[in-house]
Amino acid sequence: MRTRAIARPRALALAVALATTGTVLAGCASTAQTPASAGKSGHFVVAYSQSNNAEPYRAQLNIQLKYFMEKYKDVELLPIADAKQSSATQVSQVQQFIQRKVDALIVSPNEPAPLTSAVAQACKAKIPVVILDRSVNTDCYSAFIGGDNYVAGKKAGQLAVSLLPHGGNVGELQGILSDQPQIDRDKGFRDAIKANPKIHLVVHREAKWLKDDATRITGQWLAQGQKLDLVYAQNDPMALGGYLAASSAGKQKSIKFIGTDGLAIPDGGIRAVQQGQLAGTFIYPTCAKEAAATVEKLLHHQKVAKKSTLDIVAVTPANAAALYKQNDFSRYR
Amino acid sequence: MTGEVTGVAAPVQVAGWRRAVSILGSLQGYVGLVLVVAFGIVTRGDTFLSQANLTNAVGAFASRGILAVGETLVILTAGIDLSVGSMLGLASMVSAMLLVNQDLPPVVILPLCMLCGAAMGLVNGIGSTWLRIQPFVMTLATLSVFRGIDRQLSDNVSVGTQVAGPNGALTGHSNTFQLFGTPGHNLFAGTLGAGVYYPVLAFVLVCVLCQLLLSQTRFGRHVYAVGGNETAARLSGVNTDRVKIAVFVLCGLLAGFAGPIDAAYSASADPLAGTSYELDAIAAAVIGGASLAGGRGSVVGTFVGALILTLLDNVLGLNAVSDNLQLIIKGCIVVVAVVLQRPDLLRSLAHFVRRITARTGRSS
Amino acid sequence: MPPIPDDEPPALSVRGIGKSFPGVRALRGVDLDVHAGTVHALLGENGAGKSTLCNILSGALTDHEGSIELAGRPVRPHSPRDAHRLGIGMIHQELTLVPDLPVADNILLGAEPRTRFGTIDKRRMRARAAELLAAVGLDLDPRAPVRQCRIAEQQLIELAKALSVDVRVLIMDEPTSALADTEVRRLFGVIRTLTARGVAVIYISHRLEELEEIADTVTVLRDGAGVGTRAMADASRAELIGMMVGRPLGEMYPGEGAPDAVAGTRLRVERLTVTADPAAGRAGLHDVDLTVRAGEIVGLAGLMGAGRTEVVEALYGVYGAVRGSISLDDSRYRPSSPRAAIRRGLALVAEDRKTQSLVLDNTVRFNASLAALRRFRRYGRVHRRAERRAVDEQIAALRVRTPGGEAVVGTLSGGNQQKVVLAKCLLTRPSVLLLDEPTRGIDVGAKAEIHGICRRLAAQGTAILLVSSEMPELLALCDRIVVLCEGRVTAVLDSDEASQEAILTAAMARRTVLAGAASGGARAGEGR
Ligand SMILES: Nc1ncnc2c1ncn2[C@@H]1O[C@H](COP(=O)(O)OP(=O)(O)OP(=O)(O)O)[C@@H](O)[C@H]1O
Ligand SMILES: [Mg+2]
Repeated sequence: MRTRAIARPRALALAVALATTGTVLAGCASTAQTPASAGKSGHFVVAYSQSNNAEPYRAQLNIQLKYFMEKYKDVELLPIADAKQSSATQVSQVQQFIQRKVDALIVSPNEPAPLTSAVAQACKAKIPVVILDRSVNTDCYSAFIGGDNYVAGKKAGQLAVSLLPHGGNVGELQGILSDQPQIDRDKGFRDAIKANPKIHLVVHREAKWLKDDATRITGQWLAQGQKLDLVYAQNDPMALGGYLAASSAGKQKSIKFIGTDGLAIPDGGIRAVQQGQLAGTFIYPTCAKEAAATVEKLLHHQKVAKKSTLDIVAVTPANAAALYKQNDFSRYR
Repeated sequence: MTGEVTGVAAPVQVAGWRRAVSILGSLQGYVGLVLVVAFGIVTRGDTFLSQANLTNAVGAFASRGILAVGETLVILTAGIDLSVGSMLGLASMVSAMLLVNQDLPPVVILPLCMLCGAAMGLVNGIGSTWLRIQPFVMTLATLSVFRGIDRQLSDNVSVGTQVAGPNGALTGHSNTFQLFGTPGHNLFAGTLGAGVYYPVLAFVLVCVLCQLLLSQTRFGRHVYAVGGNETAARLSGVNTDRVKIAVFVLCGLLAGFAGPIDAAYSASADPLAGTSYELDAIAAAVIGGASLAGGRGSVVGTFVGALILTLLDNVLGLNAVSDNLQLIIKGCIVVVAVVLQRPDLLRSLAHFVRRITARTGRSS
Repeated sequence: MPPIPDDEPPALSVRGIGKSFPGVRALRGVDLDVHAGTVHALLGENGAGKSTLCNILSGALTDHEGSIELAGRPVRPHSPRDAHRLGIGMIHQELTLVPDLPVADNILLGAEPRTRFGTIDKRRMRARAAELLAAVGLDLDPRAPVRQCRIAEQQLIELAKALSVDVRVLIMDEPTSALADTEVRRLFGVIRTLTARGVAVIYISHRLEELEEIADTVTVLRDGAGVGTRAMADASRAELIGMMVGRPLGEMYPGEGAPDAVAGTRLRVERLTVTADPAAGRAGLHDVDLTVRAGEIVGLAGLMGAGRTEVVEALYGVYGAVRGSISLDDSRYRPSSPRAAIRRGLALVAEDRKTQSLVLDNTVRFNASLAALRRFRRYGRVHRRAERRAVDEQIAALRVRTPGGEAVVGTLSGGNQQKVVLAKCLLTRPSVLLLDEPTRGIDVGAKAEIHGICRRLAAQGTAILLVSSEMPELLALCDRIVVLCEGRVTAVLDSDEASQEAILTAAMARRTVLAGAASGGARAGEGR
């Protein structure tokens, strides 16, 4: 008779699993109080939870934040935590920082609702919280710094109006339709182009913030025989994708492209304006400099504005070179 | 045909004729494609069929199509490669960095990228054979690893491939690099009229080569045998581990080959390039008739599957169907296309319907 | 033969059954009456349509012509489950067990006993499974996964599974093809208890001597049509064979035709030792010695689990490196992989065609040429024309009944699939042919053909090592018979001294084995 010792390893595995579960449950019950890592007076620890390192805009923000934080000698910035686009991850990261008793917290929320309770917890633990760009559904934070997507869209629309004094056909390349920045930029743009009734938004499609999707979609528009005079893209990669499609059809001169973001990287919008590929773009502020300054003030118990909205700077062929220099942080990487 | 079948080979002419019939029969698999094309012609005749539009449609999907071909090889051996998108992303980043930082000529960049891809495929292959890790798990792990390397290399910043020289014009190598697929840059332009769009050419070439590899060579037979019945293959003298490693390496090699195309198409290598391409690749293979259980499928089928996916998108785009509606229609058409390709499904459906009607007829 | 009451309707009555597959008319107008408490045999060549008929009765195939009556009531089973409800059970020709599930779960699959909470009652399930296993005479741990069981054991597990439902009609499609004599006896015992309870049994087998023993009535099919029904007691073998093939067939096992080999030793095996691996269902081998000369056919006999399959698989490199010294044509041969074995001129017809030999979804040509592709290589490609020619030749030589080389192997009848496996091995032009139950499920005519082929190959100088559970086959074909018991050689019988009794005695020589084990252990100890 063939028998196998199946039962024993199985029982062992079960025991291990039970033990692990037990430990986890116990851990939860007694919200472990580890001593704060920050101790020395005059030396503060600041943590930053980034929603997604992989977006170029946010990568730029990280670099800048590190740079500006270094200017304050009494502040130490912990390694930036990347939530990788997951709100759940970000909540747990924020909670970890609370447990470590950091002296201040900067959060770029991935989504407002899931992060609300985590921010409230930090607030209850008396940790100053600076929220960047996307809001949360509570007032219990120390400062909010952000740009205004509606204004970004509106300024782009105003640029379109001035580029098309005699009116014309406009196409819009949209980000992921359900994203709040998309919704706001779209609204701002549409409101602004109402100024000239001869400007018609003839086509608009979701290109998911992606360059290759924008290329493909613009290619389809041109194949359809759309007469376009201007394409507004809600970020620079999409604008450049559209430009690629137009130049493949030989229409890059007759169609004007407007982007948004204005990153000072070789592959970014400012360079593209400088090179004449884009008619203009708008620097959506990273808020890094302001965030660093606000944190420093909070740590020294100075008053800060509860809510500050930063300006959207227009990039034109005239000022592009200067703006690039001013915003180029590549040497601090 | 009667039960009087003999084992003796039919005369050659009859065999040839029979083969023609069987090829025609297998064309049934292309019903989905025919429908999509017909829909395109009916709604947007001349626009849809214009060379520019087709080039645009196929070119946009070419890098994913090439991935799908590699994926087909892996799926045929009953494996799966989830890391193709990451491999493509890394290869496209490597190509852009070699161009921008090292200023290497594209003819050198391409083989380097393929080498890089093959090395990644080798890792997948070794993990799923010698370490006996299931391909799904192994490549899920490397999906993350390769993407991480890609992001580490690029520091999350996209790298543009249109490098301007001191005089403002593009550098020579960067200009040549555009031939890999920057829209509007064709190979042999001038000598061959408008020229040939490299991504399309590359995709077709890869399909032809891999189809020949599968149908004409011993290796191809071994691939089908390993996927169809691994034990039987081993007992027939097939080195099953080597075959599996080889398909993973080929899959990686093709991802490396597609990397520069993807970079050139966007004129920049994005650290997130190729994200979720594995789904498109698997979808193209499966729509083209490959069985995830292995042993069944072909590159021609995958080619058709890829065409269905991209032309469907194109047709819907040309008809200005709203984005939300597009998602619904695409999903439905994929299901319909797959059902149409499976005559046995249709037949058993017919049988089922007949049974139901017979039963209700009896009871009434 | 029990008396058949005239007034009672037959337990199963079938009229005008017909079935077509694309390109093949498998059945036409078959009539059949099976009475309760009797064993009704179906006989016919490979591909005659026996399995197709039974699959229709058991609901596995639907969409057919004709009518079925159960005890006078018309029925139309739509699925195997449907058939179960009607009281029709079937043991399929190809095994249908789930390899990774335990034996007990397989036996009671779909009919698992439940506890009050709706979960599976493991204890009752094991008890019930053990009961059913005992009924078929198997001594297995119900918790062991089926994968670990040898194919003969699996066949008996299938029987236990069929017995788990209360059947009125039990269909058995070649249940004995993988069984050795003792297991066949046990099976017949089970069948007799069933018929005594009034179950009607439909029994398919190619072994006429079995039918003579167990069957009451026999119906012969040829090319999908019934050719006649006889009371088994009245029918002679010659008559039945004549009905099957439509022509008189020569002697079944023609006498010694094999020329006495003059050539030297082709294969010499000394002290072949393989450790048992219960997880893979592998028996151990201990110091097995044997030799096969060129042109010789050597038989391997033994009971289930004696290690016959292990000997040929070890030689073929399935287990990788093994202990012992082996030489081929006086040069050393170390088994390492099937690939290397094929290079050295070995070929194996493995025990289970479905799991070990065939890519069922692919074509006859693909399967037949798989091991011999090297032969058809030209400019790095497979030379299709040469391949097709060679395969077609082999198909014709073995008389495989198939619409052509491009037919999918899975659609061939079981016996014809077996011939494709043989074709695959022969295409590699082996100098040593290892045959593990090569005539499993092959009809009488084809069996004679395969025997003829073996003799012819031997005459051309091929060395053949033949594993078979059919003693008449071994006795008729082999120049020498090596008998194994529990992984040890217990007898080497020359053809003149071999007899069923001698083989059986040696196959059950447990005592000799144990004594041998003791002395063998001592020897090993001295060696070190
Ligand atoms: N699914 C199928 N598709 C096509 N042809 C089939 C299929 N199943 C069976 N056939 C054909 O039907 C015929 C009868 O096959 P069947 O399996 O009933 O033979 P059989 O009498 O059981 O033979 P054997 O003794 O070899 O088991 C064969 O010619 C076979 O090729
Ligand atoms: Mg059969």
